[in-house]
Amino acid sequence: MSELILGSRMMQLIIALILVSTFLILGSTRLYSCVRAFGIQSFLLACVAGIVAFSTGKFDIYIVALLTLVIKAALIPYIFIYIIREIKVKREVELYVSVPSSIMIGGVLVVISYYLIRSINIMSELSSLSLSASMSLVSIGLFIMISRKKAIMQMLGILIMENGLFLGAISLTYGMPLLVELGIFFDVLIGVLIMGILVFRINRTFESIDTDMLKTLIG
Amino acid sequence: MDYNLFSGLVIFYLIGAASSIIFNKKDRLSSYAAFLNAAVGSVFGILFSISIISGESFNFEIQGTSFLNFGFFVDRLSAFFILVISIATLAVSIYSTGYVKEYFGKKNIGYLGFLYNIFILSMIMVVSANNAVMFLIVWEMMSLISYFLVIYEHEKPEVRKAGFIYIVMTHIGTGFILLSFLILAGASGSFSFESFSGAAIPPLLKDLVFLFALIGFGAKAGIVPLHIWLPYAHPAAPSNVSALMSGVMIKTAIYMLIRVFFDFLGSGVMWWGFLVLALGAISALAGIMYAVVESDIKRMLAFSSIENMGIILLGLGASMIFFAAGNPGLSAIAAVASLYHLLNHSVFKGLLFMGAGSIIFSTHTKNLEKLGGLIRKMPVSSVLFFTGVLSISALPPFSGFVSEWMTLQSLLLGFSLNDTFVMIAFSISAAVLALTGALAALCFLKTFGIGFLALPRSQQAEHAKEVNSPMLLGMGLFAVLSILFGVLPVFIIPFLDRIVQTFTGDGSFSYGYFGTITLSGGNSMSTPALLILILMLALLPLMILLLYNGKMRSPVYETWGCGQPVSTARNEYTGTAFSKPVQMWLGSFYKPGREITTTYSVSPFFRESIRFGSRTEQIFERYLYAPAVKHVLEGSRKVKLIQTGSIHAYLAYIFVTLVILFMFVILGGR
Repeated sequence: MSELILGSRMMQLIIALILVSTFLILGSTRLYSCVRAFGIQSFLLACVAGIVAFSTGKFDIYIVALLTLVIKAALIPYIFIYIIREIKVKREVELYVSVPSSIMIGGVLVVISYYLIRSINIMSELSSLSLSASMSLVSIGLFIMISRKKAIMQMLGILIMENGLFLGAISLTYGMPLLVELGIFFDVLIGVLIMGILVFRINRTFESIDTDMLKTLIG
Repeated sequence: MDYNLFSGLVIFYLIGAASSIIFNKKDRLSSYAAFLNAAVGSVFGILFSISIISGESFNFEIQGTSFLNFGFFVDRLSAFFILVISIATLAVSIYSTGYVKEYFGKKNIGYLGFLYNIFILSMIMVVSANNAVMFLIVWEMMSLISYFLVIYEHEKPEVRKAGFIYIVMTHIGTGFILLSFLILAGASGSFSFESFSGAAIPPLLKDLVFLFALIGFGAKAGIVPLHIWLPYAHPAAPSNVSALMSGVMIKTAIYMLIRVFFDFLGSGVMWWGFLVLALGAISALAGIMYAVVESDIKRMLAFSSIENMGIILLGLGASMIFFAAGNPGLSAIAAVASLYHLLNHSVFKGLLFMGAGSIIFSTHTKNLEKLGGLIRKMPVSSVLFFTGVLSISALPPFSGFVSEWMTLQSLLLGFSLNDTFVMIAFSISAAVLALTGALAALCFLKTFGIGFLALPRSQQAEHAKEVNSPMLLGMGLFAVLSILFGVLPVFIIPFLDRIVQTFTGDGSFSYGYFGTITLSGGNSMSTPALLILILMLALLPLMILLLYNGKMRSPVYETWGCGQPVSTARNEYTGTAFSKPVQMWLGSFYKPGREITTTYSVSPFFRESIRFGSRTEQIFERYLYAPAVKHVLEGSRKVKLIQTGSIHAYLAYIFVTLVILFMFVILGGR
């Protein structure tokens, strides 16, 4: 029982840190630091999975934690850095919405998410916290996709959304069946690879990965 | 027994489809595999339908999910349509084995054979489906496959345009059919046709079901003003396919109209019948009026199909009115007339389309103005085509006459209802029908006279050759049938009577000595007697000659041409000139226009060339469809504003929606 309490304290801390890492992505204007912040976020997610595994004692979730660590915290950031290096773009995040207002909107989204989860009103304290964090991640990820020009940031945005879903799922259900988790990981990995290829193609066609250019494709 | 025949026909069409794809590389083998299998399948179809009509109805269910199960229900009405489809398929398949030689080495025969078989199978499924979901699936299958058949020669731009018009119109129709079925299913609580027929529906919804079904199936049947796809799609399709599309596919819509009106909606309201009657009269008249001035043979035949669908609807409308007035006996007579004309039309229109296909096969043109003199180049085809011409012109003793006579009689029988409005409507319809018959005769006189008689007007017509024997055999089969259906209605009508009894109640014909058929009003007809009369009339001049001259000698001279050489093709009467009087009488309908362009060399007195062009207006396209299309496009352009092409904008739409939904949950969703 004490393990669970300790677990929940740790969880609260880590969830707060995950939110902070998200704001780090919102606030930085360098592609590398965005990727790094994403790596940190994924690492924290792996920690959440580890704590859940520890407090429930399920072996499956250890594997999930390990996979998160390997795929999301190491492999995907590596792919990102490889793409950025290969296509030789300016390493700046080009924005539609300035950094201060991005952070403001992010804050508003967190508040909305919190109230949203409160209004559902069926959760325990801990799961309500993690669920609102997860909802914030999803909405901030979407917001990043909207407000950033470079195709890489769209990839990053969708991965942040995915992380949000992962956080919600693992803290609510204490681990889905391993098969499902494996499927999701496989999906994410393939998704990143395909998106990476797409970014290369966009770069070759438009000599830029600015997704604004895609407007010319309209029929 | 019935089960074996039914599965036999399904299996042969499937084998035909599969084997034609398998032998794709070998054109000849592939065509035989496709069309001979289809022919065998159609023989099964004929046996099956005859066995149903003379015996019990057929019910067969394949267990599926609660929502979708495939089941077949074939009563006498369905069996009649399977019979019509199968007879047409038999003749057209035989014809096709010869006709597709045209495409050997140029087009993919396996693909054509595959679509052809599946197309026929889907038509049979349409008339035998026992629930709405399955019906919509096979209906859509039939529409899509016929679309692919229409665009078979897709390298021509006008064919692609025709296909587009066809698929748009047919999907508008399917939309309305879906609406009417949804109302029916909502009222009955199930999608099976069986439950539809007993459903308790409020009167207003009943009217809606009727209107939606009429629009939906009317678009397929080619009722004016939903007819615009026929004159595009029928000329664009290969001729054997147009024979099937015009001969039987558009009839499946009539099948469903009868099902919906008589079976699902029960005893209807008077004005439904009047609406159908009015649409039938308009279709018949407008269709034949366009056909008269048309010089593209297949387009002319397509317009004539609209006319004949109009005549079928006249019979159907009259039948509905009698039924609603509580007179099933008269209703049965009108329905028999309608079904008889449907059967006849599928035969002679199939014959004429195959004839047009033969002309295209040997001259590579379908422009009437370029033909001429074909009766000497292709004598057998000409005689067969002439049989079709006589039938469609409703001349006794050919088939078209019997059914149009019966339709006319059933309209005249309306006077026995003693209702002023009925009398007015029926007498106008009868007058329209008579006028239509006269115009049809003119139209086909023109077609045969310009196309087959006189001198060839072009090189292509000059070098025409008789077509191969499978094509003649296919056409011959239909020619024989159109004579038999004309001479022996005394056997056909009792047969149709059995079918009609399933939805109107009692039949009311009496059959007398020497093939005399007496309607309940007291009017009677004996077609064998008519045949003998006509043969006598034909022999009359011969006898007069023999009696008064003693010897028969016809001197041969040149025609006197005022000292000018007349015997060249350039001096011949043209098809346009032949139909010019009609165009002038009915100028407000055709809105004829002419343009004359003259080129000069030095001054206006030295003309180099004068070009004359004349055209007629398609009033429905101009005044109904063009404005509608314009408005739809304008609306689309407005909607297009939100389609910026920017990923960020699309994501923002999602995001804003999401946030609004969040707020909705937070504020109001407790």
